[in-house]
Amino acid sequence: MSQRSDYIIKRLLWAALTIVFVAVLNFFLFRVLPGDPTRTVRDPRLTAEARAALERRFGLDKPLVFGTIDAPFDSQFFRYLGGLVQGDLGISFSTNRPVADVLRERLINTVLLVGVGEALAIVIGIAMGVVAAWRRGTPLDAGTLLVGLFTWSLPTFFLAIILLIVGSSYFGLPVGGIRTPGFSGNAFAQAMDVARHMLLPTLTLTIILLGQYMLIMRSALLDVLSEDYVLTARAKGLTHGRILRDHAMRNAMLPMITLIALTLGFTVGGSVLVERVFSWPGLGLTIFDAVSRRDYPLLQGAFLLFTVSVVLANAAADLLYAALDPRVQQ
Amino acid sequence: MLQHVRLLTLVLALLLAACGAPTAPAGETAPTAPPADAPAPDAPAATGGTITIGSTAAPDTLNPGAAYLIEAFDVFELVYDGLITVDLRAQAQPQLAREWSVADDNRTWTFTLHEGITWHDGTPLTSEDVKFTFEMIAGFDSFALLKDYTSLLESVEAPDPTTVVITFSEPVANTDERFSALYILPKHIWEPFDEAAAGEFENVEMIGSGPFKMAEYRPGEFLRLDAVKDHYLTPPQVDGVIFRVYNNGDAMVQALRTGEVDLIDVPTNTVVRPLQSEASVEVVIGNGLSLSDIFFNVVTPENCPPDDGVCSGHPALQDVRVRQAIAHATDKQQLIDVVLLGLGVPGLSLVTPGHGEAFASQVEDYAFDVARANQILDEAGYADTDGDGVREMPADPATALRLRYSYPSDQSTDGQRIYELLRDQWAQAGVAIDLTPLDADALTAICCPAFDFDVIYWGWGLGIDPASLLYITTTEQIPTGISEAGYSNPEYDALFQQQLVTIDRAERSALLHEMQEILLRDVPYIIPWYAQTIEAYRSDRFTGFVIDPDGLQNLNSRISLTAITPVQP
Repeated sequence: MSQRSDYIIKRLLWAALTIVFVAVLNFFLFRVLPGDPTRTVRDPRLTAEARAALERRFGLDKPLVFGTIDAPFDSQFFRYLGGLVQGDLGISFSTNRPVADVLRERLINTVLLVGVGEALAIVIGIAMGVVAAWRRGTPLDAGTLLVGLFTWSLPTFFLAIILLIVGSSYFGLPVGGIRTPGFSGNAFAQAMDVARHMLLPTLTLTIILLGQYMLIMRSALLDVLSEDYVLTARAKGLTHGRILRDHAMRNAMLPMITLIALTLGFTVGGSVLVERVFSWPGLGLTIFDAVSRRDYPLLQGAFLLFTVSVVLANAAADLLYAALDPRVQQ
Repeated sequence: MLQHVRLLTLVLALLLAACGAPTAPAGETAPTAPPADAPAPDAPAATGGTITIGSTAAPDTLNPGAAYLIEAFDVFELVYDGLITVDLRAQAQPQLAREWSVADDNRTWTFTLHEGITWHDGTPLTSEDVKFTFEMIAGFDSFALLKDYTSLLESVEAPDPTTVVITFSEPVANTDERFSALYILPKHIWEPFDEAAAGEFENVEMIGSGPFKMAEYRPGEFLRLDAVKDHYLTPPQVDGVIFRVYNNGDAMVQALRTGEVDLIDVPTNTVVRPLQSEASVEVVIGNGLSLSDIFFNVVTPENCPPDDGVCSGHPALQDVRVRQAIAHATDKQQLIDVVLLGLGVPGLSLVTPGHGEAFASQVEDYAFDVARANQILDEAGYADTDGDGVREMPADPATALRLRYSYPSDQSTDGQRIYELLRDQWAQAGVAIDLTPLDADALTAICCPAFDFDVIYWGWGLGIDPASLLYITTTEQIPTGISEAGYSNPEYDALFQQQLVTIDRAERSALLHEMQEILLRDVPYIIPWYAQTIEAYRSDRFTGFVIDPDGLQNLNSRISLTAITPVQP
């Protein structure tokens, strides 16, 4: 018992340390990029004086790490850390809004799209993997494998634009966005409006992602199905369904849990390609634009969010693993 | 196993259902905004409707003091009023001001405002608001793009509610741009802010006095404006405007085809022909205020910025004959034909034909003439001594005329193509270029004021004022990072200062012509083309866009959006 809680405490401590390390690294990471946030716009009206004023407004006129002797902590770095400790992520340079507001809004969009896409891919992928493994060597297996490999290797951008053109030309689906501008109606009608907009991007994501789940599920299940205890179960005369459910699936799910936890962690990062084609204002797109505007506060905030979610998902997987497989604690 | 198959079927059925079911009412459930006021029964037939305009970027912010992107200014133009406006021929026209005059000293401008104007929230708009706006922006250095319009401002007086007197400390030539682009902001909204608070103000309600007012804003998605049907000057015929964001150009074109949007800026020239063949789409091509530019690093050692300067430009670029030879070796028409599919006009200088009489149309450009280019370089002593097809420096055979070349890889999709064409064209004259694509920020880092490059291809959007870009070649801008080429010429600098204070249009145009001739002679820049504005709209939905073949084109300008009417089915 104490061994187990030791493990959990150690694991959580490690996760916390990782987050602090990345928070510090983030500050320097984006400032290593060449370029200057006050010069990303080429406009004849942006005079040298105006740029200097912008630098002051963004706090970029302060020293990078250490300030002067009188105020050694009056620097960009310590102001960033100080804000972070108080939960203040700063003001985004490019959108002129608090970073926390931008991230919250975009995070919801992303989790809606990528979350549903991932969930569908996981369910369908696992189902296909099970079918293929159970019917190993049959045309059904070959067909499923082919579909899995094909969809997995499709370029996201290509599939997205094809689905977009077909869906909008022949099925009356929207070309982009999350909702119809100016749409009014009750909550259900609004939800249906969002669902209509979600359909094509979700379908794209599901198709692109299901292959990896299918392939891993299939090979994990094949491993298990060749075990002696499955043979024993067959010999006992158990039905196919019971062998699968009680003996094979439980063990075959272990590698899936790792994969699912990892991908769920990365879900927050969104999908730049799908978001771009379907004009879905999620986090992926936001990061992309923030890089080109050298929007340090927004980048720092977004990467901190990624770090936290990936680290937490990993920690959750490890803990879950420990619960499912007692050997892990050793 | 059966269970799993059933699950699969269920998922597929769900997908199909979601796909199929809402399709039928799509036509009806994608309505444009419901009219703010129920139309009177006897209203004329050709009003109403909400036009949806697609764009490939969202406004960055609705705060005019903090915005940079053209998408934000497109919105401000509809929601806010300037004292005056400019028409498609860049001539000043009334807006908030009914009439105006300048005193004999050329410094004092008196404006008479329309009577009874109100802000969108009902508060009366008076000369106090104008005085407040000018003084606020003059005092806020960080109001980046507006601040410059208040330079040399001496005082703003509001002797009575409809009279404004603006005095500059010197005569100012670019008043048309200043008075039209400086949006008058409501004093009762902005007065409480200090500079920091004003900069961070999100302004989501955007109270203005223009013909459209804020209805709904979803950052990154869309912005919906309602028409102000009782606007004092230009009440719109339509009920509203929606600016809708498409992060992908191909998707936006598709949205025009399916009728999801009514008007777009055509994102790539390759779709012009397919769109022209669509029955319900009209493509309009005209003059814009933008140019592409190729600039050389011509900064001299004595002008190298002491703090930031690297100044590693190729020594041959210091020789004007080399630059002139390269100009002769550049086939602008081929660039236009291949890159723009013919939809462009050969460029000349940092002023565009859209600027009217200020454009030096009489000046002759360097003819595309490879023989002449080679002759110039031969005579100047740049010989190809080792026979590898690339010339070498006269006194230094170890240094070849091999130039570093970069373009903004994240902004220019045609950059690679342009590089290949230039490489082949200039190779004919024995000048080689090596490509390093860099994103715009990285490009800025080597460009200016570092001057750590040889040749860069880039582009500019220009203001209404013909001299809006001519200051980037003045000597004083070399250390500031504004000057890209590092060009310096005291004669040019003097002319620039002189035109700033020359009010007489003809006199000023003559000065601007002289400046353009100097730039053409010294070739710090080669302007390959003036791009054309290409827009497409649904002619089955709206009609009445204001189009002037000899003027500037902008179908989503206020001029068009207050004139259009819906097409009755």
